Amino acid sequence: MASLLSSNPTLASNPSYSFSQAPQNAAAGNREHAFYPYTDNGGSTLGITGNDFAILAGDTRSTSGYSINTRYSPKVFRIGGDDETGEGAHIILSVVGYAADGTALKERLNAIVKMYKYQHGKRMSVKACAQRLATILYGKRFFPYYVTAILGGLDEDGKGALYSYDPVGSYEREQCRAAGAAASLIMPFLDNQVNFKNQYSPGSGVGHDLEARQVTPLPFHEVEQLVRDAFTSATERHIEVGDGLQMLVITKDGIEEKYFPLKRD
Amino acid sequence: MNHLPQAWGRPRDNVYGTYDASYLQPRLPQTHTQSPIVTGTSVLAVKFKDGIVIAADNLASYGSLARFTDVKRLRPFNSRSIVGIGGDVSDMQYLDRLLNSLDVTENYSSTGHSLNAKNLHTYLSKVMYKRRSDINPLWNQMLVAGLDGNDEPFLSSVDLLGTTFSSPTLATGFGAHLAQPLLRKLSDDESKVADFTREKAVEAVRECMKVLFYRDARSLDRYSIAVVTKESGVELKEDEHLEGQSWAFAETIRGYGRTQEV
Amino acid sequence: MDSLVATYSRPAFENEGYSSDEQQELVQAMPSLSLSFSLPPMRNPSAFLRALTDDHANPQCPIKLAHGTTTLAFRFQGGIIVATDSRASAGNWIASQTVKKVIEINNCLLGTMAGGAADCQYWLAYLGIQCRLHELRHKRRISVAAASKILSNLVYSYKGMGLSMGTMCAGVTPQEGPALYYIDSEGTRLAGNLFCVGSGQTFAYGVLDAEYHYNLTEKEALELGSRSILAATHRDAFSGGFINLYHVKEDGWVKHGFRDTNPIFWKTKLEKGEFSNVTANL
Repeated sequence: MASLLSSNPTLASNPSYSFSQAPQNAAAGNREHAFYPYTDNGGSTLGITGNDFAILAGDTRSTSGYSINTRYSPKVFRIGGDDETGEGAHIILSVVGYAADGTALKERLNAIVKMYKYQHGKRMSVKACAQRLATILYGKRFFPYYVTAILGGLDEDGKGALYSYDPVGSYEREQCRAAGAAASLIMPFLDNQVNFKNQYSPGSGVGHDLEARQVTPLPFHEVEQLVRDAFTSATERHIEVGDGLQMLVITKDGIEEKYFPLKRD
Repeated sequence: MNHLPQAWGRPRDNVYGTYDASYLQPRLPQTHTQSPIVTGTSVLAVKFKDGIVIAADNLASYGSLARFTDVKRLRPFNSRSIVGIGGDVSDMQYLDRLLNSLDVTENYSSTGHSLNAKNLHTYLSKVMYKRRSDINPLWNQMLVAGLDGNDEPFLSSVDLLGTTFSSPTLATGFGAHLAQPLLRKLSDDESKVADFTREKAVEAVRECMKVLFYRDARSLDRYSIAVVTKESGVELKEDEHLEGQSWAFAETIRGYGRTQEV
Repeated sequence: MDSLVATYSRPAFENEGYSSDEQQELVQAMPSLSLSFSLPPMRNPSAFLRALTDDHANPQCPIKLAHGTTTLAFRFQGGIIVATDSRASAGNWIASQTVKKVIEINNCLLGTMAGGAADCQYWLAYLGIQCRLHELRHKRRISVAAASKILSNLVYSYKGMGLSMGTMCAGVTPQEGPALYYIDSEGTRLAGNLFCVGSGQTFAYGVLDAEYHYNLTEKEALELGSRSILAATHRDAFSGGFINLYHVKEDGWVKHGFRDTNPIFWKTKLEKGEFSNVTANL
């Protein structure tokens, strides 16, 4: 589904390449290994940072094909805390894509962050954790974890930090990022509402004189509302998104979890 | 680098060989990895107020042939959990041996703890994920039902890819399409579990087994059903018969959804 | 003894799960320095990987990796100019408009990123480690030639596995002066005055070749780098975002901004009268 939305329809349906590397849509011939070791469990995740907080959110639906596996399967996790309660965690991670790989990745990062604490006697910084996550993902460069990860926390200055990843570990610190099935629906909305893309200061002129609206970090209550709006809208337009919205908010006071129901149709 | 900008920075046919899309073909013909040969169909399970009901029929099919009609697909593990297994029967038997040896090791260990259903599910999910990562999967989907560490009802699923999820009602195979919607109608949410009684749950599962027998061509009217509660542990009945079948609806069926007379 | 007997007397079906070595490796806090990558246990892992990830040969492939695009670097009398765009695309989806495609290997060496974003980030970070180790071992800075050779030998050893990177190493050292190398994942390593890499390379070359000569002033050189990237972002769909501009000098590199292409484009058009193919009416 994701690939349908993100690929250019003219290119995909009507390849017109003049050289031998023409794209192939149909599978050619039979394969020795018919077992295909991946699946897509759908859903979407999203992260936004502000001055002194970071939010990671994900819907809680898990799908396989057109079936709903369950209406509550969390995609956002605490890293480096107690096994059962997650208490003491200072980093949050969201994973979307193939859920079993996501779980494996989460458990691995969790174990590493804890080992770091035992070995060094201090908490792993978000920056260090972000780099380590990239090397974990790249370690499976030739047999990738089929997941899109987002890592959140507070940096050395107490500012919200958010790192987004591709499946093999290229990463970047950003203000906001949407991932998963509805990324192409949510991300443009975020560009406009968080980074004020294509917004101009009223009265700054017309035509070429228009000045872009200055980007300022948003207060928490506005960001929370943006996240909820993003997911209610994605639920309306994407079949793999819905059921519930799980949100982890990290501030200097710790991590708070929130849950809001979404449409279940 | 050549004069075709689209190809730059990408694997070139003359270096890497031609693009082979057949890798993307989902699980059709195969020789190396085992394919499911003798298979079991759906497993159903429902959480109720103080326990779990789980059921699966006793059939092992060989393609479209109903080959073995007394295969027990519910496999109790100590007195607190039970595993319902669908998919390949030889892999199911392997898992049975695996669980046996796990049980033996656990009973010899001196920690004094015993594995609860949640532990068992974690163990099985690790086995399944390791096998898929080795491209040598155990071709099954399983439901693990029982009591967790706090003696609360626990129900969770794991499949050949290592994907896990849990929900108040679960069904594998054909049941995921036919029975799951019926069960969700009764108990869609964790909050509804509290006022879902044992009688209602057992009744719902038996009804679903009947519906499955009506429409799933790989199912049987002999089935196993188990209830796990804190009070009485695992109560397993392995030779149940579908009671009160009504085939009156069959009269009205005309071909594949056709309304006209043939 | 009992544990020994227990280990070897178990039936095969009990050997599910990971060995203790594998477990150790999965949770160690420090990544191992020796390079070990897990491969899918198949006869032809690279063909499997390519089927999964080559969005050019198959636009419907399931895993789309982020790809980088227009980068350039050139030598002139005042050092080296390095300039890039900032767009990363995964298939036709623009994954990011703010990628840092100039990678700061250390305070006097720069690398650029084209091809697979993760490949470039990971291996240039690895190169950074090797350069630092070289400094510690030999008590002097590594030459650009040596650094680029570490990278080219490394990627050559992975040839055929599906790495995708086209990178340039730029640095100024006392023994070499300004030095610029091009390295790609096929194993090519070339020294030169001027390189453009990525899907927008032709457009960048067009502008760069027309105006380039070795005796450019610093101001002219920076403007030329920026203008070449602008041309590429204008004509190449897979390039865009911001212009990332660096100047490498003998005492280290200097960053000259990460600037949005859109205002630069309009400024270039309206004030200098270039891009006359585009109408000024909005």
